[in-house]
Amino acid sequence: MRYIIFFPFALFLCNCATKEKPLPIFGERNIDGQDTVYHTIAHFEFVNQDSAIVTNSTFENKIYVTDFFFTSCRSICPIMKTQMLRVYDTIKNKSDVLILSHTIDPEYDTVPLLHDFAERLGVESKKWHFVTGVKDSIYKIAQTSYFATALEDKTEPDGFIHSGAFLLVDKEGRIRGKYDGTKEEDVNRLIADIERLEAEYVQ
Amino acid sequence: MCSKYSQLLLFIVCCNIVVAAVFSCTSKEHKKATKSDQYFVQGKVLYEVNCSNCHQKNGTGLGRLYPPIAKSDFLDNHFEEVICLIKNGKEGELIVNGTQYNMAMKGITKLTDLEIAEIVTYIYNAWGGQREAVEVKEVSSVLAGCSK
Repeated sequence: MRYIIFFPFALFLCNCATKEKPLPIFGERNIDGQDTVYHTIAHFEFVNQDSAIVTNSTFENKIYVTDFFFTSCRSICPIMKTQMLRVYDTIKNKSDVLILSHTIDPEYDTVPLLHDFAERLGVESKKWHFVTGVKDSIYKIAQTSYFATALEDKTEPDGFIHSGAFLLVDKEGRIRGKYDGTKEEDVNRLIADIERLEAEYVQ
Repeated sequence: MCSKYSQLLLFIVCCNIVVAAVFSCTSKEHKKATKSDQYFVQGKVLYEVNCSNCHQKNGTGLGRLYPPIAKSDFLDNHFEEVICLIKNGKEGELIVNGTQYNMAMKGITKLTDLEIAEIVTYIYNAWGGQREAVEVKEVSSVLAGCSK
């Protein structure tokens, strides 16, 4: 008898789980006539670990996860890379998801150094781009497009201040999630959100 | 009567000597074990603050970027160098368990000799290794002889 009472509840729960709310869209939005215009990532052009040019069009029709780091950092970056490697392991066989890591120390983190770093981490450059470029352009895109902190600060032990954030960007270049890349539970949430975002594109 | 008393007295004195000897012996062992435990516990805390970001909490390292500390042949063969590199850092190629690494590590100069003794005690015992607590004076004498 008890089972019969519980049964409709179970059905109700199943129903809820399949209809998830879409992920939020971050940043300012403007109404343009009938359309809502969302905050999107500004134009960028950087160079990756294989000396290939990486721009917004590299991520055309792709979901991507991005962060800011530098290879000589001993504080939060190694934790971020450990966690990003977990993300990499879950997306390496997905054709529509990529990773983009920006160095905030382009003077030290040259293309050969980034190449060596990626190779030692054991990741493929077509899935995980490590980019360098003009320092000011990197700082500007961090602050204005990704709402992430990246600054040079000689008073810091390693010379820079930066947030440990991982950002999830959708196929339209809109930020759909912000996570603490130093916390395992937050990165678990990111991994789940990538699946949710992918599902939004499946009709 | 008198001899009976003296015999009893002698017996008590003997007993006391034996008990004291046994006690002092176990207390020495006990002291050593307590010191080792204390260093291990402190060393774990210090390891997690100063080392685990790169070398990971379980000592496995990360890819070919950061070498392992757990089950590492480098630790087995270079005890003194381990003490030196914690304090002074290390640059250049390093082969650990047959894999080549080449990421510079800056020395952690703020660590005291006691803290290094604690960290070394921890890393040499945490992951299946067995080594007695590393003495502070041993760390100090090794550090004095590090090539800079």
